[in-house]
Amino acid sequence: MKQLKQLKQLKHAGIPAILMALIMLLTAISGCSKANDGAATTIKSKTAVTVTDMTGRKIILDGPAARVVALTPSDCEILYAIGAGGTIVGRGEYCDYPAEVMNVPSVQSGANTNIEQIIALKPQILLMSTMAQTDEQVAALEKAGIKVVVSDAQDVAGVYTAIELIGTLMGRQQEAAALTESMKNTFKTLSAKVKGDGTKTVYFEVSPLQYELWTAGSGTFMNEIAGMLKLSNIFGDVSAWGKITEEQVIERDPDYIVTIAMYFGEGPKPEEEILSRTGWKNITAVKNGDILNLQNNELSRPGPRLADGANMLYEFVYGETGN
Amino acid sequence: MKIRPESFRFHEYVLFATVTLVTLILCICIGSVNIPVKETIRVIWRAISGLSMAESKAVPILLSVRLPRVLCVGLVGASLSLCGGAMQGLLKNPLADGSTLGVSSGAALGAVVAIAFGLTIPAFPFAGTMTMAMLFAFVSLTVILALAYRLDASLATHTIILIGITYSMFVSSIMTLVITFAGEKVKHITFWMMGSLQGSSYANALVLLSALLLFGGVILRHSRELNAFAIGEDNARAIGVNVKRVRLIVLICVSALIGVCVSIGGTIGFIGLVTPHMVRMIVGPNHRRLLPATMMGGATFLMLADLVARVLLNPLELPIGVVTSFIGSIMFISIFYSSRKVK
Repeated sequence: MKQLKQLKQLKHAGIPAILMALIMLLTAISGCSKANDGAATTIKSKTAVTVTDMTGRKIILDGPAARVVALTPSDCEILYAIGAGGTIVGRGEYCDYPAEVMNVPSVQSGANTNIEQIIALKPQILLMSTMAQTDEQVAALEKAGIKVVVSDAQDVAGVYTAIELIGTLMGRQQEAAALTESMKNTFKTLSAKVKGDGTKTVYFEVSPLQYELWTAGSGTFMNEIAGMLKLSNIFGDVSAWGKITEEQVIERDPDYIVTIAMYFGEGPKPEEEILSRTGWKNITAVKNGDILNLQNNELSRPGPRLADGANMLYEFVYGETGN
Repeated sequence: MKIRPESFRFHEYVLFATVTLVTLILCICIGSVNIPVKETIRVIWRAISGLSMAESKAVPILLSVRLPRVLCVGLVGASLSLCGGAMQGLLKNPLADGSTLGVSSGAALGAVVAIAFGLTIPAFPFAGTMTMAMLFAFVSLTVILALAYRLDASLATHTIILIGITYSMFVSSIMTLVITFAGEKVKHITFWMMGSLQGSSYANALVLLSALLLFGGVILRHSRELNAFAIGEDNARAIGVNVKRVRLIVLICVSALIGVCVSIGGTIGFIGLVTPHMVRMIVGPNHRRLLPATMMGGATFLMLADLVARVLLNPLELPIGVVTSFIGSIMFISIFYSSRKVK
């Protein structure tokens, strides 16, 4: 009797296990069918490429890279912006811009980075940021013959460095220089056009009230771009990202609110939701309806679209087209 | 031997209520934004008496943000502590609590499922998550107790806690699975899981209050039966308690209350476990005294913890769970040790 019971228990334990195995098998199959052949990209020259990545490590390649796995969304964006999108053979799961990148097989990134997935894609280089990779992970990849290049921009200047770095890696220095130039021009034009005297304030909402208010403080791209446009961040005293109290937002009374909350197509839109909050009615931005919803990470990713984000913010605040 | 009256005497009620009320007032007066006490009193007084007020920042901060939040926090604290106290008595188990038994995680799973599959009741935006949280809390409690009974009919402390913890882990793995497959709604869910009392409204407070009045009232009415349970189930049966019925009623009420609290404030650990013990040191083990005192003690404790969370790192806010667990575990251990020494 007891044995029968145990057998029964075993049987029950088996079902989830089989299910899991099935799921894993299915994902593996779908992953294979999606894999495209990025090796078709032509290699421009055969001269050796030497770069120093943003952690100061020296990387030497025989020639410009033709197969790249990029884990960070901003690196994917830079690759496409300099016309090297075709070299991407694998993307981190959160890379979603431009739309074409979605056709590239995705790999896990961040804390869940899966080395096997990356090795299976046979890239020459792996582009990533230092945020979640351990030294052991990096060493394992190098052992498999994959050069790890770290791009870790902390400010707009860092983005220029990253673009230059990636441009050199891909043998597209000119495109990279042009991209950097255009970004610099955008920012320059905007700062020159700004008429503000620095008294207008802005509040960046990273996470909406129902999931706890998080904002971007000093040392973030949002803060830096706001500074360029002579807007002062009401949470400039918070370093990086922080969960803040609702009372302080009301107290600091921002003139503008920029939310990067996602909209899933149901319920009120992020800006409507802010307008409907009780207790927020007297905030200047809410009274004037000056709320901007940046849906596509324009100001939160260290990539070329920071210029677009700056333009959008300028247009929103000063009511005229920036560039 | 000192003999205590079975239930609270009038002055004891007054004492506990005063402490709770003073805490409430303190928590309304202190906050992330500094508002003078005089101004606070003026705003609240004018709001109560329905007078019009000059537009100032203090009005929305006090009336729309701070007051509803403090009320919600107090009610959640009272509800969770009452649940903890009732379960500790019912199961004759000093470690019983929504979080140790896996009921809170069950309720959280219910809410996550509701969010992931978009289960909502049109007119009541929060009813979907709330109903699912209550349902899952009850199912969880039933499953855990059924499993424990089959292993060990006396419901020994270690069996039930072991099953509760295993169940919590099982549930959190399912939750992770749901989140993995939920795609773009992932953000919704992960943030929800952290639990938040930010953005509490009077509507939330009203729901919590009605739940506490209804389910808490039923639990309080069964205080004497809980006394019998605390000595032993056989004892309860021997003195004429309808064991099955009382157990079912208390379990339903506990799950419903935990479900409501979790769907509004997220899972807040520790409070349901610790408060009844702390209060028991003061008023003794009789449930007719313990349960009302626990409610007020829980409200006080959570309101104070929330106060610390709100003002300690101003303008930043700490997660309330960090404060309850930090203060709670230290208090719990010190009480535990000192009570052991006395024996």
